[in-house]
Amino acid sequence: MTENRSRSRRVLGVSLILVAIVLCFFTPFLWIVSNSFKPQLTIFADVTPLSWKTFLPVHPVLENYRTLFARTNILHALLNTAIVSAAQVALTLVLCSMAAYALTRIRFRGSKVVFALILLTFLLPVEAMLVPLYQVVSGLGLDNTLLGVMIPWIASPFGLFLLKQSFEELPRDLEDAARIDGAGHLRTFVSVILPNVKVPLLTLGLVTFLFSWNSFLWPLVIAQAPEIQLIQVAIAQQGSPTQLPNWGETFAGATVATLPLILLFLLLQKYFTQGMAMSGIKG
Amino acid sequence: MAQVRLASIGKTYEGATANTIRGLDLEVQDGEFLVLVGPSGCGKSTTLRMIAGLEEPTEGAIWIGNRRVDGLEPRERDIAMVFQNYALYPHMTVAQNMSFGLRLAKVPKPEIRRRVEAAAETLGLSALLGRHPKALSGGQRQRVAMGRAIVREPGVFLFDEPLSNLDAQLRGQMRAEIRRLHDRLSATTVYVTHDQVEAMTLADRVVVLKDGRIEQQGTPQELYDRPATRFVAGFLGSPQMNFLAGEVRQGALDLGAGLVLALPPGHALAEGRKLDVGIRPEAFAVAAPGAAILSPRADLVELLGATSLVHFSHADQPCTALVPPAQAPRAGAVIGLTLAPDRISLFDAETGRAV
Repeated sequence: MTENRSRSRRVLGVSLILVAIVLCFFTPFLWIVSNSFKPQLTIFADVTPLSWKTFLPVHPVLENYRTLFARTNILHALLNTAIVSAAQVALTLVLCSMAAYALTRIRFRGSKVVFALILLTFLLPVEAMLVPLYQVVSGLGLDNTLLGVMIPWIASPFGLFLLKQSFEELPRDLEDAARIDGAGHLRTFVSVILPNVKVPLLTLGLVTFLFSWNSFLWPLVIAQAPEIQLIQVAIAQQGSPTQLPNWGETFAGATVATLPLILLFLLLQKYFTQGMAMSGIKG
Repeated sequence: MAQVRLASIGKTYEGATANTIRGLDLEVQDGEFLVLVGPSGCGKSTTLRMIAGLEEPTEGAIWIGNRRVDGLEPRERDIAMVFQNYALYPHMTVAQNMSFGLRLAKVPKPEIRRRVEAAAETLGLSALLGRHPKALSGGQRQRVAMGRAIVREPGVFLFDEPLSNLDAQLRGQMRAEIRRLHDRLSATTVYVTHDQVEAMTLADRVVVLKDGRIEQQGTPQELYDRPATRFVAGFLGSPQMNFLAGEVRQGALDLGAGLVLALPPGHALAEGRKLDVGIRPEAFAVAAPGAAILSPRADLVELLGATSLVHFSHADQPCTALVPPAQAPRAGAVIGLTLAPDRISLFDAETGRAV
């Protein structure tokens, strides 16, 4: 009896903590979405005192969305971001899977050193690499191009790490069987290895998409021309520097930018969480 | 069909301090069923993988038929292999698994279909061709792995401990199927196992490996009856051969605790020579009253059905006798045993080689 009671208390305690964590993450998002449906003047008027009105629009309006789409090139930025994110996902999957295969399945001298060196780049913060990356990419004539936005990130050490782990878990007998059947490295890779690591590939695709869609600093530096702006930069730069920001439009932009990610996450969250657990790395 | 020849093969793995295989010479005749047997780490799987082309020898040459094949890719060697863990492609159906190699070899589709259906029929897989490996039992997976080898119609079949993941009953069934299949196809077969029962029941010829060298080779009966070393004698046979320390005294064999045997016919050994005396459990017989040459107390009696195992000690050395259940004593009772001198094997106590 006492045991049951203490167990119930423990479950209740854990549940309360979880609810608090969910609220911490969910409340700001709710506030953003709610404000995107409020007229500019009521946004901050509802903040104090804190009430349900803070998080729910009393008289929802679509004015912010209308002006956002009419006045800014947000649709173009969305398209740019979709192109960059999709291409980055595709190229990352191709490059990382091939590199992971080579590092796990092809015996060559120095493979461990190569892997360690690649992983070392994982430890460098983006900010530290910004200037040299800019010099390299602009030196290649890729500044202000969509290719320039994505190219530094397609060789992802995180992706390599994630896939290398998955490849190592596949029994080596499978490749031996494929060799006996007459398959070379490329055929084994395409016909035997890749179909058996679908979940890690999907996970890496999702993580890469998320990273690419949300990237701000690098696109801000390398892609300043309005016609190749990405969504996060477009939202941040929608007002002129001399004006106060139009918060309603900003919140509408943030909602529009987040919507595809949320849909994607809801559809494929199983793979996303699985991948995070596999890699042992927080996204 | 093809002959396989290994000439002075050696293999040292990168970073290893000792050779896995040392100067191995071996010939497998056309259509022969050869079993490589030995304890873990003796180099039997490495030898098989070198024949397959999955490992390259560090020295020596391998011939299949009239072609030297070391240095060639597995697909160029005219071999097919069945793996311990089946190694079926999880994302392919049974039919796709069996036909993968043929598709890569660009065999015409009607021919692929014919071969897959024929192999499936032989192995009783016809109803399972559309299933994925995860929907199959262990025995069915094993059959698919064999089917994948059969459809390629190779010159040489290689089996790497193919039954070790099956339960005892299924292992017995599959063992018989493999032997029947070999008799039907008459294909040259090299079969690796650590299970001496598989070796004895399947092989035309058994090769016992130890520490990367051939310890002895011959027909199963030859190896069982005339083991060349104490190692072979102990490895083959279940229950295992008993070994008692003995010494030649006054032209007879003194096994301690009052047990003295005449030397087996044809053995003239120096006085005082120390020997390990090998006695198969079935070499003991329950003695008629007054005829026992040893009368130990049974420590444990195990009923196996058709026979009983009587465990006892002789001069503080463990010993087992195989007797009919009706003659088996109760545990703790004394049993009178006889032993014919011509049914013992003698090994040098130092070298372990047969005397």
